[in-house]
Amino acid sequence: MLSFIGRRLLTAGVQLIGLALVVFFAIRLLPADPVARLVGLNASPDAYQSSKHSLGLDRPLLVQLGAYLGVTPGSSGLLEGDLGRSWVTGDPITKEIRRTLPVTLELITSSFVLAFIVSVPLGMLCALRPGGVADKVTFSYSLFAGSQPEFWWGLLFIYLFFAVLGWAPPPLGRLDPMLTPPPAVTGFITVDSLLAGNMATFRDGVHHLMLPVLTKVFVLSGPIVKMVRQNMVRVLASDYVLYDQACGLKPRRIAVIALKNALVPALTLLGVLYGYILGGAVLIETVFSLGGIGQYAVRSVLAFDYPAIQAVVLVIAMISLFVYLTLDVVHAMLDARLRA
Amino acid sequence: MSDSAQIETAMLDLDRQDHAARPVPDLLFRLGGLIVLASLVLMVAGPWLTPFDIGRPSDDIMLPPPDLLAVPHLLLQVVTRAPHDPIHWFGTDSAGLDVFSRVLAAPRADVTIAVGANLFSLVVGSLIGLFAGTARPWLANLTMRLSDLVQAFPVFITGMILVTLAGRSNSTIVVTLALLYTPIYVRLTRSEVLTQRNRGFIDAARALGKNEAAIALRHVLPNALAPAMIQASVTIGFAILMTAGLSFVGAGVRPPTPEWGLMIAAGADGIVQAEWWPSVFPGIAISITVFGYAAFGNGLERRHAR
Repeated sequence: MLSFIGRRLLTAGVQLIGLALVVFFAIRLLPADPVARLVGLNASPDAYQSSKHSLGLDRPLLVQLGAYLGVTPGSSGLLEGDLGRSWVTGDPITKEIRRTLPVTLELITSSFVLAFIVSVPLGMLCALRPGGVADKVTFSYSLFAGSQPEFWWGLLFIYLFFAVLGWAPPPLGRLDPMLTPPPAVTGFITVDSLLAGNMATFRDGVHHLMLPVLTKVFVLSGPIVKMVRQNMVRVLASDYVLYDQACGLKPRRIAVIALKNALVPALTLLGVLYGYILGGAVLIETVFSLGGIGQYAVRSVLAFDYPAIQAVVLVIAMISLFVYLTLDVVHAMLDARLRA
Repeated sequence: MSDSAQIETAMLDLDRQDHAARPVPDLLFRLGGLIVLASLVLMVAGPWLTPFDIGRPSDDIMLPPPDLLAVPHLLLQVVTRAPHDPIHWFGTDSAGLDVFSRVLAAPRADVTIAVGANLFSLVVGSLIGLFAGTARPWLANLTMRLSDLVQAFPVFITGMILVTLAGRSNSTIVVTLALLYTPIYVRLTRSEVLTQRNRGFIDAARALGKNEAAIALRHVLPNALAPAMIQASVTIGFAILMTAGLSFVGAGVRPPTPEWGLMIAAGADGIVQAEWWPSVFPGIAISITVFGYAAFGNGLERRHAR
């Protein structure tokens, strides 16, 4: 088991280093001029040059890479976990990511859990009678939900639940501006409120999460229903289910037994899905102005803020790989055949 | 690895195993086919079919669409060619542009980009996949690891970065999407090549003394393409979503091009004031189109599996 984890960690590490190098070179080889973007088009040539010098862009590419990685003596870099400073705000990027990342994680983790709770029974319902009416309806639904523009559904829900019905708060952030946010411990507004025992901010945080989560759950339920259904159909066709039926077990009891075996292979797919929606949180955060890492990415990209761009890609890829790895390990613990 | 199309790929693999129990009504497949066809027609002819000039604003700004109850009457006027004022079926936006005309003209951007990107990655990806399926093991491994590396990038954010830094234009979007989607086709074609390689007719060709490269191109590739073509239908839908999404955050198609994502973004501010039409109609267009491609792809896949 340990060697399995070790091997996977090693692969993930190599992949991250490759990723960091590719991002570093790719953004420098593309024909963009970050200096002009920062100093403006009317800046004098002197100002342009001095800005270029202070950003370090006048140095050879390999020297820049050395500084980024932190192998040049006297400067800390990526290898020490230092992501550098933003060119736009001048703040350490590690700090900015620590502020924005929990917002995104809170949104997608809660959406993910809820989507799972909604989708598993639906998928099972389909699998119990393949080809039946419930199966057809649910399958069409999952095909539809899995192919929708989530940013548009977010806007549609805002129109319906805020503009028309008035049930939801305005789509401007995570908390009513009149409320003082709870002291940041985890960065999750809901968890921090509970830790501080502040029920008012907890309720308001949940209220603000309502629509973004609803949107995400709707879009996510498509692929999850499909996945649960397909795994269930396959498991229900296996010999031991036939045996259970021969033993006279009730269908519901068999479904529970089969569910466990249907969900284990789904773990890997869930990991992929989690990584995918982490990278795709950009749109929903923009619609609801949540200020998570997705919006941070948009801001950095549009401002040509190279250090921040590098950091965002790396952090998101790292979390995806970590989730992926964890689920693989859990999978291997549940299924001895994979450990070889 | 984080990629919706990759999830789709994984699912297609699962699909193949239980096709006997697939429930998709034939109706969905036909509906999907119709939608795909309509989107292709609009891609070619959309800008010529618009009732209003897509670039010239009218004096009516933020005109709501006609009342639902008035629609039959208006339609009758149009059909009987009775004299009537020009009708803004979907209303006008904050610049006074006709929303209906722009929704019709948008596939010229959205669908062209999506189809172009997928053609590109289908050709490149299946050739690389053929290579990875027939080359020496270490070369094949290297190719697959490189493909893994590309797939480890968060798709949407990488798309944003590449398009913005390379200069926002329709062709950079095509190249970016093609790059991001190529690994899907590499993987699909390679696994299909690996199964085709051991079939009898390949041995027969070899026994006839044909050289390996000719066998790979002439006999293996054509037989290994079907899954990739089916995947293309699903991935074109995702490429439309991605193009619209990129444009929505300001990292895609440039205004004032009629494009669904840009139209939604332009109307987004009106949503909170209940001015829904400039955003809602282009969204419905995306929703229907992408669903059409997904349904069509699913139906194709089911037929292929039979």
